[in-house]
Parts: sequence; structure tokens; C-alpha cells
Amino acid sequence: MLGPDVAWYLGIAAALFATGTLGVLVRRSPLIVLLSLELMLNGANLALIGFARQFGDMGGQVFALTVMAVAASEVVVGLGLIVAMSRRRVELDVDRMNRLRG
Amino acid sequence: MAVGAWICLLAPLAGALLITLAGTRISRRAAGLVSTLSVAVAFGGALTAFFALLGRGAEKRAESTTAWTWLSAGEFQAGLTLLVDPLSVLMALIVSGVGTLIVAYSIGYMHGAVEERRYFAYMALFVFSMLLLVLGGNFLLLLAGWGLVALSSYLLIGFEHERPSAVAAAKKAFVMNAFGDAAFALALFVLIFRTGTLDFGGAFAALDDMSSTAVNLVALGLLAGAVAKSAQIPLHTWLPDAMEGPTPVSALIHAATMVTAGVYLIVRAHPVFEAAPAISGLAAGLGAVTLLAAGLIALVQTDIKRVIAYSTMSQIGYMFLAAGIGAYASAMFHLMTHAFFKALLFLAAGIVIHALVGQQDMRQMGGLGRYMPMTRIAFWIGALALAAIPPFSGFFSKDSILASALAEGGYGVALLVAGLVGTFLTAVYTFRMLFLVFGGEPSPFVREHYHAHGGKEGPFSMTAPVATLGVLAVIGGWIQVAGLWHPLSDFLDPITIVDREHLSLMEPTLTQDLVVAAISLALSLAGIALAWLLWSARRARVPEAAAARRTLEQRLYFDWLYDRVFYAPAVAVANAWRRYVEDPVIGGSIDGIAGGARGLGGRVGQAQTGLLRTYALAIALGAALLTLVFLSAR
Amino acid sequence: MDVGNILVWAIWVGAAIFCLGSAVAVVSFANPFFSALALIANLASLAVLYLLLSAEFVAAAQVLVYAGAVVVMFLFVIAYLGGEADAPWAGGPTWQAVAASVAAGALLLEVVMVIVLAAGDRLTDPADIRGAFGSPGEVGRLFLTDHLLAFEITAVVLLVAAVGGVILGAHSRRAEQDEVALGEPR
Repeated sequence: MLGPDVAWYLGIAAALFATGTLGVLVRRSPLIVLLSLELMLNGANLALIGFARQFGDMGGQVFALTVMAVAASEVVVGLGLIVAMSRRRVELDVDRMNRLRG
Repeated sequence: MAVGAWICLLAPLAGALLITLAGTRISRRAAGLVSTLSVAVAFGGALTAFFALLGRGAEKRAESTTAWTWLSAGEFQAGLTLLVDPLSVLMALIVSGVGTLIVAYSIGYMHGAVEERRYFAYMALFVFSMLLLVLGGNFLLLLAGWGLVALSSYLLIGFEHERPSAVAAAKKAFVMNAFGDAAFALALFVLIFRTGTLDFGGAFAALDDMSSTAVNLVALGLLAGAVAKSAQIPLHTWLPDAMEGPTPVSALIHAATMVTAGVYLIVRAHPVFEAAPAISGLAAGLGAVTLLAAGLIALVQTDIKRVIAYSTMSQIGYMFLAAGIGAYASAMFHLMTHAFFKALLFLAAGIVIHALVGQQDMRQMGGLGRYMPMTRIAFWIGALALAAIPPFSGFFSKDSILASALAEGGYGVALLVAGLVGTFLTAVYTFRMLFLVFGGEPSPFVREHYHAHGGKEGPFSMTAPVATLGVLAVIGGWIQVAGLWHPLSDFLDPITIVDREHLSLMEPTLTQDLVVAAISLALSLAGIALAWLLWSARRARVPEAAAARRTLEQRLYFDWLYDRVFYAPAVAVANAWRRYVEDPVIGGSIDGIAGGARGLGGRVGQAQTGLLRTYALAIALGAALLTLVFLSAR
Repeated sequence: MDVGNILVWAIWVGAAIFCLGSAVAVVSFANPFFSALALIANLASLAVLYLLLSAEFVAAAQVLVYAGAVVVMFLFVIAYLGGEADAPWAGGPTWQAVAASVAAGALLLEVVMVIVLAAGDRLTDPADIRGAFGSPGEVGRLFLTDHLLAFEITAVVLLVAAVGGVILGAHSRRAEQDEVALGEPR
């Protein structure tokens, strides 16, 4: 295989995942939280595809495609929620949605 | 023969189940008919078994039939076994025969009562239980029937469950019976422990290998069970209260069948009692004490059914007396005649109560003979049989018991004296009741409340059984006349043969028989005369003896004593436990647990910030931690 | 090291830097509009990496579906909402931000350690692959044979998501009157 070993790709995947995690945990805008979630999913996808290449098993790629479909569904629902929030004049701030506190 | 026994046992059960399952789909009348029919079929089954037995020689008059192994625990096995022998068949005949008459009588008596179907289902269940008790081929089945009988008795006494007194009476009967059941069960445990079997034959054969202590314990336990079931002193207080049940129930359960189960048990287990002569003597003594005490108490009762209830206790006292001295055939003979005339008395009393819209107080009655001549005749027959006047049935059976006591000598003479005094008392209270209810001019209450049943004294379903029982109460004693002929004793011979080694019973001679008969007849007539003087002719005033009277009205203070000795301390102990243990310790700990849980929930609830990011952070930190764990655990 | 290898290395380094840089941009831009644009860049660079890993079909799907459809949907919503910027880093570091950094850093460090320590020698020699590896035909064959159940379930998930999106987005007068507020009113 030309280029770097799969381990390097996995490093990128981990970095991507960590960055996404940071975004989800730090940002308060639900839109950016969603975008960060996409980053995390993509990090996982990269790892899946890297392993698929390493072991010559197409299952990883198939799984990555499935993850994409699920990510698309998640985005649809998440964006729908955001739109509904804005309809009800709720501030777009995840910290303001705390009605479920104990 | 086995088939007859099985039909006999299962027909009432089928009847009970049918009525229960059919529910309101069958009419009330149909429920009564189903119940009667099922008991009649049982009687038919018992008859076939009886005739099959008659055709056999004395040696072969016992056959057991096992359906399957009912219980198996290691070495110990007990089968669902029916034993057909003269004793069980005789009992089955009495139970199902008298039962048929009484259930048929109930159709008229219970007409219009609420929940008739339930009543008839209970009745059939009771007959089944009783037949299981008498036909069971080992002690375990006997105990099962014993308990079922207590249950159905409880259900029937408390049948009118909207009356608190009926519920209390049912509870009392059940608790007293449970006491007996427990003693019975303990005796069986000893038996299993020592002999490893509960089959009658096997257990009796192993008796010789048992220590005398063990035999005495078994006999004592069985006696306690019998005493509770048969309402003998000191476990008798439930029977008078059990009169809260409908009158046919009193007739069937508390006169003819269930209360005689104790006598049956003693006769059935007679090898045990013969091996424990002290306990046999105790049984006879208890019988004597009971027959005297019950006779005395009956003198002052005002409730017609309670008088008959006490007389039942008293008559069963005679049976215990007989069984205790080994005169088993006499005990069974008296059991049979007693079933006839006592059921007759109860059913006749039921007609009276029915006609007086439920009034049971004899002080309100009087002069009923004018309105109910046929019932008066039935009552006269029952009373004469009860008071042991020849040629009515009670004379022959009671006489043979007393003659046996005389033949016993020594202790037997004391018992004989008690029995003779009891005869006198029986005559007095029986005829007091008779004169109070039927004699004299109609009382204002009777005039006001008496209502004829369509011009008759009662519906056919009520009068026919009474008439049948009347005939039986007259002729039932003729099958055995002491000293002259004794087919019943011969029939029972294989069962009741006395083991001479342990217990020596002298057969009464004809002279002894005649002497006792003459004395007891004279005493009975004296008693009747006294009753006539005091309550009918009213030429003599009833002696006032206030203290004695109050003692008797308090039923010799047995209830009071039990209340003080058992009930009050139990309540005190329970209250103390509640105050010092339950409330502070148990209640406190529960409150503490609840409070702690609530406090903890409040604390945990604070971690529930409602902030999405906090939760996500927790997940992320958790994931990091988990990965660390996996890494280090590699 | 031959020329091809050097070329691939160069492409990889470029794609990796671009990928991580755009990821940081997604997380740190104040304006969600820019974040979404950065995500497109991120997805594109990822597609390059996929290609280097012989996942041609996934790379194409990544560009078409992700960058082309999903992010565009994001952009539409952001445009609809007005795309206001918040101030993510205002007011100094909060304990939440510190803890989040710790968590993310720990995860990164741990995964790297796993790669270096745990699986080091098993990741050096990739399997030999046939020419069909990663081709649409192969992916389709797998989806309709080995992974048919996953395929069907994904279809159902997509359908449910579509219905849910419609319901959430449906403009109901009544719902507005009910005003079941999710949080404090604005």
C-alpha cells in the first residue's frame, strides 16, 4: 500500500473524534453541536474505512455507509427540532433547555 | 365393591363442582336437585358396597383400592386409597343416607334464601369431605377429609355472612377444629417417625415395636383431634355457637355426621387406643364429663337449636364413653341411631322455625301442637328416642353402652353412674323443650306469626325427609337388641375385634342388660315426669336456685375461662409487641428507610441539572475512563 | 521510496492537515454558517483520505450525500434561522470547558496510545486487495447479501426520520397556541 500506514489514518480519526467531542461539549448553539456531532461520526467512519483497508474486509465500508444514512436521519430530526424550537421562540441555546433538571 | 366406593366418594364432589361451575346458568331449584341427586348417588354407591360386603365371610370383609400414589417422600408413601370395610361402609351409609334426606329437606327450607346455589355447592362439598374422611384408606386421607370437613363446616356455619354473629361462630368453629387438626397431625408425625407408614394396617401392625410413650403420644393426639371435632369438653364451645348456620346444616353437620367423626376416628384407630389404656380411659372420662355438663347446660337454654346442640354433645359423650371402654360396636350403634333421631329433631325444629319466620326462642313459642300436629308427632318420636324410651331406637343403643360400662366394672361403674344421671337429664331437657314448644295454649307470638305453608305444615321436600327419619328413629334400634341378637356387632366384628391382651372388655350378660335397662328406663320416665310437672302441668314451680342457674346459663364458664386464659393474654402480648417492638423498631426502620430514600433521591436529583452538555460531558468522561480501564487491564 | 509513494504521502499530509484544520474551524467559528462551510471542507478532505484507502464508492457517497445534501440542508436551516453568532469563548474558561478539554484530550491520548502500544505491529502490513475492493458493485453485492438486514433497517430508520422531520417542521397554528415551551421564552 502506498502512502502511510493505516495507523496514521487512525490517528487522524482519533483527532477528528476528539475535536468533535470538544465541540459538542463546549459549544452552546445547537446547530454547532450538530455539526460537531457530524465530525465525530466522520472520525468513526474514517476509522471504519481504515480498518476495512487494513484487513481487506468490505464490511467496514458497508458499515460506514450505514453510519452515513443514520447520520443523515439524525440531522433531519435534529434540524427539525431546532426549527421547532425557533418556532416556539425558544432561544437557540442548549443550556436554556433545562426543564428536565432534578 | 371398589367401584361403589369410588362412585360414593366422587358423586358429591362432581355435584359441588357442577353447581359451582354452572353458576347462574342453572336455576336455584336445579342446584338443589343436583346436590340432592349427587348425594343420593353416593348413597347408592355405598349401598352397592354394603351388599357386596354382606355376601362375604368375616375374614374377607375389607378391601382397599388405590387410584395412584398420592404422596411419596423417600421411604414414606401414601396412596389415594379407599378402604371398604364394614366400618367405613356403615359410616358412608349414614353420611350419604341421612345426607340425602337433609339436602332434600334443604330445598324446601332454603327456598327463597339468597345464594341458594352456594349453599348447595357447600352441602355437596361437605358430603364429599365427610365421605373422604370415612372411606380414606390411610391416616393421611383421613386427615385430608378431616380438614376439608372443617372447611366446609366453616363455610356452612358462616353461610349467612352478613350476620356478624354467624361469621364469629364460623371462625370459632374453625379455630377450635384447627387446634384438633394440629394435634391430629402431630400424632401422625409421631406415627410416621416411628412406623414409617400411615396405612391403617401397617401402622397398627408396627404398634408393638413402639415405646409406650410414643403410643401414648399418638393416642393423645388422635384423641385431641377427636375431641375437637366431636365437641367434647374441653374443646366443645364451638358447637352451640355453630347453631348460627341454617338448620339443615346443624342437622347434617352438627348432629348426624361431622361431630361423630371423632367417634369414628377412635373406632378406626382402636388398636392405638387399646395399646394406650390410659388414653382410652381419658376418652371415656371426657365423654362422661361432657354428657353430664352438656345435659346440665341444656336445662337452661332458651334457644331451641341450642338445646338440641347440647343434647348432641351429650349423646356424643355417650359414644366416647363407649369407645373409651372398648364397646366399639355399641358406640357405632349409638352413632347410627343418634344420626336418625337427632337429624329428625333438628329438621322438625327447622319446620317450627320456618313456620315462625326464623324465631328460635322457646319462650316465645308454645301451643304449636295445635297448629302443627304432624310436626308434634315427629318431635315426640325424636324426643322419646333421645330420652331412650323403648321401643324407640335410642333405648337400644344407649342401653347397650350402659350395659357395657357395667360389665367393665370398677371405673366402668363410675361411668355407668354418669351415664344414668345423663339419661335422667336428657329426659328432663328434651321434654322441657317439647312442652315449651308444643304444649299449652298458643302464645301471642305464635298466634301472630305462625304461617302455614299452603295449608300444610311445610312443603313436601321438607315433610318427606322428616317422615322418613321419623320411621327410622322408631325402628332403627331394632336391628340390635342387647343380649338377644346383634347383627350389627357381627357385621362390624372384623374391625372392632378387641385385642384382649391390652384391653379386657366383658360382654355384658343378659342380666346386666336387663338391670341397666330397667334403671335407665325408670330414670328416663322420672325425668319426663319431672319435666311434665315443671313445664307442662305447671303444678310445681321451677326451683329458683339462682347461683346454679347462672352458672349453667354461663355454660359452666368455659367461654369466660378461655377468654381469660387464652384470648386476653394473647391480646395483651400482641399489644405489648405492637407498642414496644413493632411501632419503634419495625415501623421506625421502615420510616427511616423511606426517609433515607427520599433524602438520597433529593441529593441525586441535584445532579440532574437538565443541562444537555453536562450529561454529554459525563458520557465523554465515562468513555475516557472506560478506555483507560481497558488499556490498563490489557 | 519511489515517486508514487512520495506523491501519496504528500497528498495524505495535505488532506490530513486540511481535515484537522477544517475540523478545528467547525468547532471554533462563532457563526454557524462558517462552521457549516468548514464542515464541507472537512468532508471533502475526508473523501480524499477515503480514496487513499481504496474506498472509492464511500468517497463518492461522502461528497454527494454528505457534502452535497446534508450540509446543504444545514445551510438552508441556518439561513432560515438567521445564522446568528454566539460568543463561544467569551467570559474566560468555564469549568465545563476545562472538563470538556480534559475529556476530549484524554480520549485522543488514549486512542493514540492504543494505536501505538496495543496494535502497533498489527497495523503495519495491510492486506492484499483485489481491484474490485471498494467498488460500487462490491458494495451493492454486500448490501444485498451479507448485510441485507442492516440495509433494510437503515431504510426504515430513514423513513421514520423523514416522517419525524415532517411532523416537527409542520406548521400548526394550534401548536403555536399551545406553546408547550421547551425552555425559557426568548
